[in-house]
Amino acid sequence: MRLVVSNLSVTLSGRKVLRRVSLSISPGEVVGLLGPNGAGKSTLMRAIVSQIRSSGSITFGDESLAALGDRDRARLVAYLPQARVIGWQLSVRNVVALGRLPWRGFAKGPGDHDRAVCEEAMRLMDVAYLADRPATELSGGEQARVLAARAVAQETPLLLADEPASGLDPAHQISMMQALRRLSAQGRSVLVSLHDLTLAARWCDRLVLLKDGSIADEGPPEAVLTSGNLQDVFNVSAHIAQDENGLILAPTGLVEQRGTHSGQ
Amino acid sequence: MWCRPSLKAVFPNLRAGQRGGFSCGILFFAIAALVALTLPAAAAPKRVMSLNVCTDQLAMALAGPDQLTSVSFLAGDPDLSVMHKEASAYSKNRGLAEEVFLAQPDMVVTGTYSLHNTTALLKRLDFQVEEFPFTQTLESIPADIRRMGEILGREGRAERMATEFERELQSAENAACEPVPTAIAYDQNGVALGAGTLADSVLKAAGFRNLAAESGIHGMAPFPLELLVSLKPDVVIVPRSLSDAPSLADQIPRHPAIGALKESRIGTFVPRASWACGGPFTIEAVRALRTLRKDVAPCAEKTSALR
Amino acid sequence: MRGKDIGTSMKAIRLTLLLGALATLFFVLSLLIGPAELGIVKSIGGLFAGGDEAAMIIMREIRLPRAILALGVGFSLGISGAVLQGFLRNPLAEPGIIGVSAVASLGAVSTFYTGIAGASLFALPAGALGGALVAVLVLLAIAARHGSTLTLILAGIALTSLAGALTSLILNLSPNPFASYEIIFWLLGSIKDRSMEHVWLALPLMIAGWILIAFAARAIDALSLGEEAASSLGVSMAHTRILIVAGVALCVGAGTAVTGAIGFVGLVVPHLIRPLTDRMPSNLLLPSGLGGAALLLAADIAVRVVVPGRELNIGVVTALIGAPFFLWLVIRARREMF
Repeated sequence: MRLVVSNLSVTLSGRKVLRRVSLSISPGEVVGLLGPNGAGKSTLMRAIVSQIRSSGSITFGDESLAALGDRDRARLVAYLPQARVIGWQLSVRNVVALGRLPWRGFAKGPGDHDRAVCEEAMRLMDVAYLADRPATELSGGEQARVLAARAVAQETPLLLADEPASGLDPAHQISMMQALRRLSAQGRSVLVSLHDLTLAARWCDRLVLLKDGSIADEGPPEAVLTSGNLQDVFNVSAHIAQDENGLILAPTGLVEQRGTHSGQ
Repeated sequence: MWCRPSLKAVFPNLRAGQRGGFSCGILFFAIAALVALTLPAAAAPKRVMSLNVCTDQLAMALAGPDQLTSVSFLAGDPDLSVMHKEASAYSKNRGLAEEVFLAQPDMVVTGTYSLHNTTALLKRLDFQVEEFPFTQTLESIPADIRRMGEILGREGRAERMATEFERELQSAENAACEPVPTAIAYDQNGVALGAGTLADSVLKAAGFRNLAAESGIHGMAPFPLELLVSLKPDVVIVPRSLSDAPSLADQIPRHPAIGALKESRIGTFVPRASWACGGPFTIEAVRALRTLRKDVAPCAEKTSALR
Repeated sequence: MRGKDIGTSMKAIRLTLLLGALATLFFVLSLLIGPAELGIVKSIGGLFAGGDEAAMIIMREIRLPRAILALGVGFSLGISGAVLQGFLRNPLAEPGIIGVSAVASLGAVSTFYTGIAGASLFALPAGALGGALVAVLVLLAIAARHGSTLTLILAGIALTSLAGALTSLILNLSPNPFASYEIIFWLLGSIKDRSMEHVWLALPLMIAGWILIAFAARAIDALSLGEEAASSLGVSMAHTRILIVAGVALCVGAGTAVTGAIGFVGLVVPHLIRPLTDRMPSNLLLPSGLGGAALLLAADIAVRVVVPGRELNIGVVTALIGAPFFLWLVIRARREMF
C-alpha cells in the first residue's frame, strides 16, 4: 500500500504552516524528512495521522486516512511523536505493550500474539534486556528506543517517526536507523524526520526537503543534499564527502541568505 | 423552647450594641434623667416597648389599649408567635437600641438571653428595662404572667389569667392516670427536648413520660435516631417545617426509620408555636397532648381503688 | 516471560481481592456499630430475618443506608481520583483539591435552599451534578491550555474558596435559621442519619459514573505517553474527555449531594495503591474504588467511635489523614511543580 499525500495545506491560528505539500511513500521505502526548525515536519506528520485539520487528500492504499475511525487508522499508521512522554513509572514491557492497544478488545488483556509482537519490537530496538525496568528511570537514549519499540509494536504498515534519533549517542543513532531499515525490509513504509544530514543521506532511500511549509526538493540523497540546497534551505555551507555507503556531510559555517540583505 | 426565637433574634440584635447612639449620649442622658425625675415611680407606664417574641406575647395579652407602642418583628411570625394576628396591630421593632432611643418608651421588656448587649446599653442610658428569664416551664408561667401584670399596672387581669392557667394545670394533674404513655419531642437536626425544657413540663402535665429526659438528656441535645427507634416511644412529636425555605435540619425528624415504627404515633400534635414561648396560650399545647394521650392510652379502670 | 505476565496479573487479582475483603470487613463493622448496642446476633437478625421491630428498623433504615452510602461514595471518590490522575498525568489531581466537590456542594446548596425546586430531595443531586459538571469542565479547560500541576492546583484552590464562600453566603441568607448551621455539613461532609431515599437518589448515578469511567480505562493507559501518542493509538481525546467529565461529575456530584464535600479520599487512596500495582492507570481504577470504599467506611466508623455521642464530620477525619499526606506530596513533587 502506498501513502499518497496530495496538495496538503495546514493553517494553524491564521498562519499557513503547510502549503500544497504532495508526496508519496511506497512499501519498503524509508523516506527522510529534512528541513530547518519550523519548516513543518512535525505538522506534516500530525496532519497525516489526522491530529490536526488539513485540506487536501491523504490516502493509504484505497483508504482516505482522514475518513477512517481513530482505531482503524491506528492499525494502519503508527506515529512516534518528538516529545518523549512517559507518565508514571511503567515498566518497559508495559510501555511497549501500549502499542498493542488498537488491536485489543475492550477490557481484554494482551494475548499470546500481542506478547510475541512486543518481544520482537523490544529486540528490534535493543531494549529487551530492560524489559522489567521502570521506563522513567532509563537514560534519554534508552527511553527513545523504548518509545520507538512501542510504535513498532503497533504493527502498522506505515510508521511516522519524528526525530527518533535526536539525543541518541552515535552508536544508538545508527542502531535506530538500522531498526527502521529492518522494518522497511519487512515491507513497511517509514517516514522519518531527521536533523542529522549524514544519517539521512546514508540510511534513507529518498529525502524530502521542507522549507517554510513547502517542498523545496525531493529525490535520492545525492540529488537533494547539494551545497545549493543546503545554502537555500538550511543557510549553511557544508563539507560533502562520499564513501562506499553514501554521502558524509559536515556543516562548516553559516551563509547569508541570498537576497536577504539586498535592500541595504 | 426558646431556641427558635433566639436563633432569629440573637443575630440581628448583636449589631445593636455596637451601633447605639453614643454620639448623642449626653443629651440623651439629660433627657432620660429629667423624664425619670418628673414621672411618679408607681404609676403604670404609658409607653411600653417589647423587644423579644416571648415578652411580646405576654405584653400583648395583658396591656391596655395604646399602652404597648411596639413589639419585635418576630411577633408576626406564625411559626414562633401564637399571637401573630394580634401583632399585626402593633408597629414592629428589630430590637435595636437606636429604635428604643427614638421611641423614648418609659418601659422596655425583653428576654435575658436574646438581647443581652442591647439590654446593658439601655440600662446604661437609664431606660427602665425589665428582663424575663430564658428558661421557662409550665410552673414558671403563672409567675411570669403576674410579673408582666405588675410591670404594666394590669395586676387584676394578670391575676385572673394566671389563676385560670393554674386551675387548668391542676385539673390536668388531677386527671393523671395509668398507664403512662411515652413520648419524645424530636426537633430539627435530631435534637430532643430533654429535662428542664418547656416541652418537658408540657409532656409531663399532659400525662406522658418524656423518654428524652429519662435517657439523661438535659435541655436540648442531639438524640441518636437509633436510640429513638430502639426506645419505641408511643408518640413522636416532630416539628413543622419552619418556613418556605428548606433545610436539611427538617429532614432528620422525617427520617423513614421513624415512619417505620408501626406502633408509634407520629405528628406535630401541639398547636403551632404554642410551646415556642411560655404564655397563657401554652395551655393549648397541654390540652392537645391530653386529648392525644386519652386516645393513645386510655386510663385503665381504677380497679385497685374500687376494692 | 509468560510466567512473569501471569505473575503480575495474579498479583493484580490478589490486590483486588484483598481490597474487596477489606471493604467488606469495614462494611460489616459499620453495620454493627451504633448507639443502640444491638449485638451481632440481633443485628444480623434485624438485617435479614426481620423479627424484632426496632432492630429491623435500625439495621435496614438507619445503618444499612449509611454503610451503603459510605461504600458508594468512597468507591466514587477513589475511582474519580484515580481516573483524574491518569487523565491529567498529574499525581495531585483529586476531586476535592481541584474544587469539584466544593462546586458540587455549591450547586446542591443553591438549588435546595433557595427553594427553586421546593423542598424536594431531587433538587440536591440535580444541583450537585450541575455544579460538578461546571467545575470539571472549567478545570479541564484550564489544564488543557496550561498543563502544569501548579496551574491546576491553584485553579482548584480558587474554585474551592469561591464555592465555599458562595455556599456560606447562600446559607447565611436563607430565612431558615437552621440553614447557616449546615455550612459545616456542606463543606466537611457527613453520612449521619441518611436514609434509603438518599441511597436510591445517589447510588444509580454513581454506578453510571463508574461505568463511564471504566470505558475511559484504555484511553488513560494510552495517555501515559502523552496526548499525541495516545491519539495515534486510536484514542479519541474528545470522546475520552466526555467520558471522564461525565463520569467524574456523576460520581462526585451524586456523592456530594447526599454527603456533602468529603476531601482527600481520591488523593490518598490511588497513591497508596499505585506502588502495589504495575502502575498502569487502568489497573488502578478498581483497586482505588475498593480502597476508597474501605477508607471511607473506616473513617465513618472512626467518627462514631472516637468521640462517642458527639459525632465528628467525616470530612474532618479524611482531612486529618489526607492534608498532611498532600503536603508531603507537594514537598516531594515541588521540583516538578515549579
